[in-house]
Amino acid sequence: MKRVFKSQLAGPLIAFIIIFIVATVTTPRFFDFDNFSNQILQVAIISIMAIGSTLVIITGGIDISPGAAMALQTMLIAVFIKDLKMSVPATLVIILLIGLVMGIYNGVLVAYLRIPAFIATLASQNIFRGISFMLNNGAPLQSLSGGLEPIFYTKLFGKVPIVLFYILILYVIAYQFMKYSQIGRNIYAIGGNENAARLSGINVKHITVITFATAGILTAAASFLMSCRLNSGSQNYGSGLEMSAIGAAVIGGASLSGGKGNVAATFIGAMTIVIVQNVLNLNSIPTAVQSVVTGAIIMIAVFIDMWKGDAGRFFSRKLSRQPAPEGK
Amino acid sequence: MQGMNSTQAPLWRLEGVSKLFAGIRAMDHVDFSVRKGKIHALIGENGSGKSTLIKCLSGVHQPEEGTLYHNEEPLRIASPEDARRLGIATIFQEFSLVPTLSVAENIFLGRMTRKVGRIRWNEARQKSREILARLEIDIDPDALISSLSVAQQQLVEIAKALSMDASLLIMDEPTAALGLSEIERLHDLVRMLRDRGYAIIYISHRLDEVVELVDEVTILKDGKNAGYVDKGGINVDNIVRLMVGSDIEEHYPKQRNAKDSVLLHAENISTEKGVDDVSITIRRGEVLGLAGLIGSGRTEIANALFGVDKLTSGSMSIDSGHGLKKQAINSPVDAIRNKIAFVSENRKFDGLYMNFFAQENVTIVGLKRIINFFRINLRKERQVGRETVEQFKISPLALGKSVGYLSGGNQQKVIIARWMFSQAELFILDEPTQGIDVNAKLEVYQLINRLTGEGKGVLLISSDFPELLAMSDTIAVVHNGKIRTVTDARQIDRPRLMQLALAGPG
Repeated sequence: MKRVFKSQLAGPLIAFIIIFIVATVTTPRFFDFDNFSNQILQVAIISIMAIGSTLVIITGGIDISPGAAMALQTMLIAVFIKDLKMSVPATLVIILLIGLVMGIYNGVLVAYLRIPAFIATLASQNIFRGISFMLNNGAPLQSLSGGLEPIFYTKLFGKVPIVLFYILILYVIAYQFMKYSQIGRNIYAIGGNENAARLSGINVKHITVITFATAGILTAAASFLMSCRLNSGSQNYGSGLEMSAIGAAVIGGASLSGGKGNVAATFIGAMTIVIVQNVLNLNSIPTAVQSVVTGAIIMIAVFIDMWKGDAGRFFSRKLSRQPAPEGK
Repeated sequence: MQGMNSTQAPLWRLEGVSKLFAGIRAMDHVDFSVRKGKIHALIGENGSGKSTLIKCLSGVHQPEEGTLYHNEEPLRIASPEDARRLGIATIFQEFSLVPTLSVAENIFLGRMTRKVGRIRWNEARQKSREILARLEIDIDPDALISSLSVAQQQLVEIAKALSMDASLLIMDEPTAALGLSEIERLHDLVRMLRDRGYAIIYISHRLDEVVELVDEVTILKDGKNAGYVDKGGINVDNIVRLMVGSDIEEHYPKQRNAKDSVLLHAENISTEKGVDDVSITIRRGEVLGLAGLIGSGRTEIANALFGVDKLTSGSMSIDSGHGLKKQAINSPVDAIRNKIAFVSENRKFDGLYMNFFAQENVTIVGLKRIINFFRINLRKERQVGRETVEQFKISPLALGKSVGYLSGGNQQKVIIARWMFSQAELFILDEPTQGIDVNAKLEVYQLINRLTGEGKGVLLISSDFPELLAMSDTIAVVHNGKIRTVTDARQIDRPRLMQLALAGPG
């Protein structure tokens, strides 16, 4: 089992370690507790959204609506708290339910109406953001409540960011779910061979909807954290964030053709992106360049994923003294 | 070991050729030669080295030992482009045609004649017409590939290969997807090419076809030469004996286990996909063979029984352990709940999970069996994997690698293992021995015996008539979605079965 574990995480982990070492060596202010603390804050929202992206990608689909969903959801949270005077806990519950419904909507489009996931979620992207502009006359809402920022910025024992625990809890649940549950196994099956999954008695339509619905809830959780972080809601929040979420999944080894992916590795992918951005920031490199670098890393990750099969065979041929195979 | 035609030097000759992969000898000092104007069959199990030999000739692999001779001159084939330049055209099972382009465009893919940068469509069309005419192929050069049948696409593939100035044509399992009349047509074409002086290497598992067609046969086993026959020596018995070292009678180890208790009774079922008023009965321990030509509706009947297609009329009754009861089977979920299994025809398309190892492929239908309290027991799953590779004689490496790396025979065994793990009672097997080597076929037959010995029922769909006749207890002949005849398998012979399958009703 350890062998399997290692082979799935090995790639992203090695890349992460290399980047970490390079960062430590080149940037003195990198290896610092407060800096790491900041990185956790940076990665929180993206990494939670990325769990949902990973699940959808494993089924062989894709979801490009989360960023726009975030715009709508942060606006709704803002309206609930500021205009409707709802309590923070109630808002959290309602927004998670709304995220669930939005996810189910995507899932039904893809599973029952047979609209390709890219097209369906592209349409959703437009619809969600469009609706967000219908709220508050298209203007953002600030200063929602004093109770929000602490949810994001609290440090336990004065040192450890509380968001780290949010991340850990969600990731542990997601990891256990994908590895040990029947639905998790079926998600991998559908991504691996949808036709075979149908013939294996898997209800492909149901599971597809469940997957998108889960992504929907997680996006809503990420949106809630975003509202806490910025104590506001805006139609411009989340713009392009789904690309970073998908990038994190891909760096973590998820294959866009489905069937492959690992929740834990996605977190490593997200951290990789954040660390690179952090190093560029600490070295005062302009934000524009950061986008280029992030894009380049995602491309390298996909390239490695595509060619690692060949590279593995090349090296094993050169290095191995394998015994003869079992008799037929 | 090699017969030599003293009047003609071989066009291509391999002498002592070996190919190693990480220390394993895929080819071990193999001698092989092919002459112009001769059809040479290359026979061997999966793993015999025949695919490696073909790849050496196609320039995909370079041998570590031995020499290739072209017209008795030693040379190297360094790449597929090299091979093409030397006149070697290979046609694999998976065609290299672009479905959305026309026949002419495919034939001249990448080689369109241009005048000042503009493609000369008329010239391409005209040249294609000439090429097709020379091969007596009646296909419109403007037709889209996607509109052609598989057999027609194959003819285009051959035309394309020959249009590139080939002298050696290598055909890998060319009749795997063809019906009887299409096979005849293909064989006529191959004979015509032979008469025109092409050298042809013909690879096929279908020994009865091979003996009708070829002039010489080379058999490979475990990477080495295992035999050569020509002229009068070409018959199935000889070839099989050289392949596996045993006689053909041992090949169909049929056990008769049929009982009286009825497992499945389908009454007057019809579907929109072509099943027309079909009634069949399968008893416990019985193998019901469905005979028929390609397109006769056998897979459609299987799809109806497994819930892939809904019944528009008729009913099904199944005994899933509590006596024969009428059941509505509207989806594979229903079928599986009623203990029906379906080993489909095309395992790569809808059978195998390439992203899973062997054990995960096995447990996927019967996952409940390794779940405690909503949690998959991975240790139990590995145990299932170990038991499976031991029982089914699969390489233990399958437990740590994608099933995509396994041979066709092992892949098929994994799928059968999956359905046995699901504890099904009725097994629908659609072409279970297609594309697998003789030893693996034998193992599949043993598995069928095991199933019937345990009181399970088998619906066997096979285009291999000898196999069907030998392994079935009862045979139903299917034609145009209807059952034409039902007979005891021992009371019919191959010619009569062929007649029934070919002729229409009445």
